[in-house]
Amino acid sequence: MGLKHILPGGGTSATTGGIFGAGSPTFLTSKVDWIVNWGRRNSLWPMPFGTACCAIEMMASAASNFDLARFGMERMSFSPRQADVLICAGRVPYKLAPVLRRVWDQMPQPKWCISMGACASSGGVFDVYSMVQGIDTIVPVDVYIPGCPPRPEGLIYGLMMIQEKIRQETLTRHFEHRAEDPTRVAKPQVGDLEVAELSGPFGNSTQQDQLSSGEVVREGSTSDDLLP
Amino acid sequence: MTDKKSGSGLDAVDEGPISSDSSSADHGGDEADASEHASVAALKQRFADAVVRHRVYAGGQHVVWIDPEKSHEILSWLQADPDHHYDMMSDVTAVDYGNGRPVNVVYQMFSTVHKRELRLRCELPLDALEIDSIVDLWKVADWLEREVFDLFGVTFKGHPDLRRILMPQDYAEGHPLRKDFPLRGRFSRAEQTRRALAQDVERFYRAEDLSAGHIPQEVAPVEVGTLAQGEREGNS
Repeated sequence: MGLKHILPGGGTSATTGGIFGAGSPTFLTSKVDWIVNWGRRNSLWPMPFGTACCAIEMMASAASNFDLARFGMERMSFSPRQADVLICAGRVPYKLAPVLRRVWDQMPQPKWCISMGACASSGGVFDVYSMVQGIDTIVPVDVYIPGCPPRPEGLIYGLMMIQEKIRQETLTRHFEHRAEDPTRVAKPQVGDLEVAELSGPFGNSTQQDQLSSGEVVREGSTSDDLLP
Repeated sequence: MTDKKSGSGLDAVDEGPISSDSSSADHGGDEADASEHASVAALKQRFADAVVRHRVYAGGQHVVWIDPEKSHEILSWLQADPDHHYDMMSDVTAVDYGNGRPVNVVYQMFSTVHKRELRLRCELPLDALEIDSIVDLWKVADWLEREVFDLFGVTFKGHPDLRRILMPQDYAEGHPLRKDFPLRGRFSRAEQTRRALAQDVERFYRAEDLSAGHIPQEVAPVEVGTLAQGEREGNS
């Protein structure tokens, strides 16, 4: 926003274009992109949202052995207002869902989200009444880190993927990438069908054939069928 | 393979899980002589008509089933009587055995004076899940009873603040630890997500819940002075 209006010829008009090229990169925008992205990707401040054992690994990543500060994560930002990356480390129960959503809504743009570990990404083993089946039903997620819990190397790799994602962003397009509908604040991130699909097919130990909506996907199968 | 001893613990492993359909009223445990435990003997003598049965589990845990109507009377006597003096309520919990069988409310007590342990159980039929609150006897029972109310739906008569404690305040799917509760809840995941995000989180906590470092009303005047000196805000 800022640079566009300060530099001469800035603007988003499709006819005039100006030096920002109206959607297509020019020499100047690609150089500005480079310097903006360089700054952003090397000064990411994570907002730690640690709820379970993944948070222990997250703390280990920040401590001296793995030293997240090498990558510019100089400071864990315990206030969402000063954070760039939301690291959701651990399982999120439905009671905590509005808190996670509000933390995300409070973070200023540009912002990214990491879903760390199996529980945050899919609900993990907690396919039960109280647990959010993947935080991507609540907030948009950029990087999923598998593992239970992931090792610090995994988290660092995930953060480096965020850095890579930032490196590829361009000034001419990233505003539309990150456009969020303000009326969807505190609303589910995806629609009903997607929620059912995301949280559906895994089943649980006693009912392997049911979607969360109660719909039976494999008629007549029992948990005995899954024994070797 | 060695020959199996009948009744060894490993037999149960071979048999696998026991279905909760088995409707036999077998309470497990061993028949026991009330004279082994002073409080049980006293209970049987004083409240003969309120004691339903008495068993021993795990070699030394005496369990007494009592009439829920008389639970408050019996518990207050066990707490107050100098020969028993159960001053510590370790746990208040409940068990649902499923298949329409009664929910058991369990009181686990310990006497720090006599170094004695006792467990009382009250059977509540599913259509009358009500029992007297014991918050007036043991303050610790406040949150424990709220937990049992939240997860099993047992109403504690006379409880000062009977709200849900673990599940969200406006949770509408029932009581999750009941055997008839489906593992993934009653609503679809989409509906659960929508309801979760629509929660008004701040409304669920009272102002005094959110303020840190306030002085509880019940603290003795001497301790109030000590607390005020070390209080985070307001010390000069």
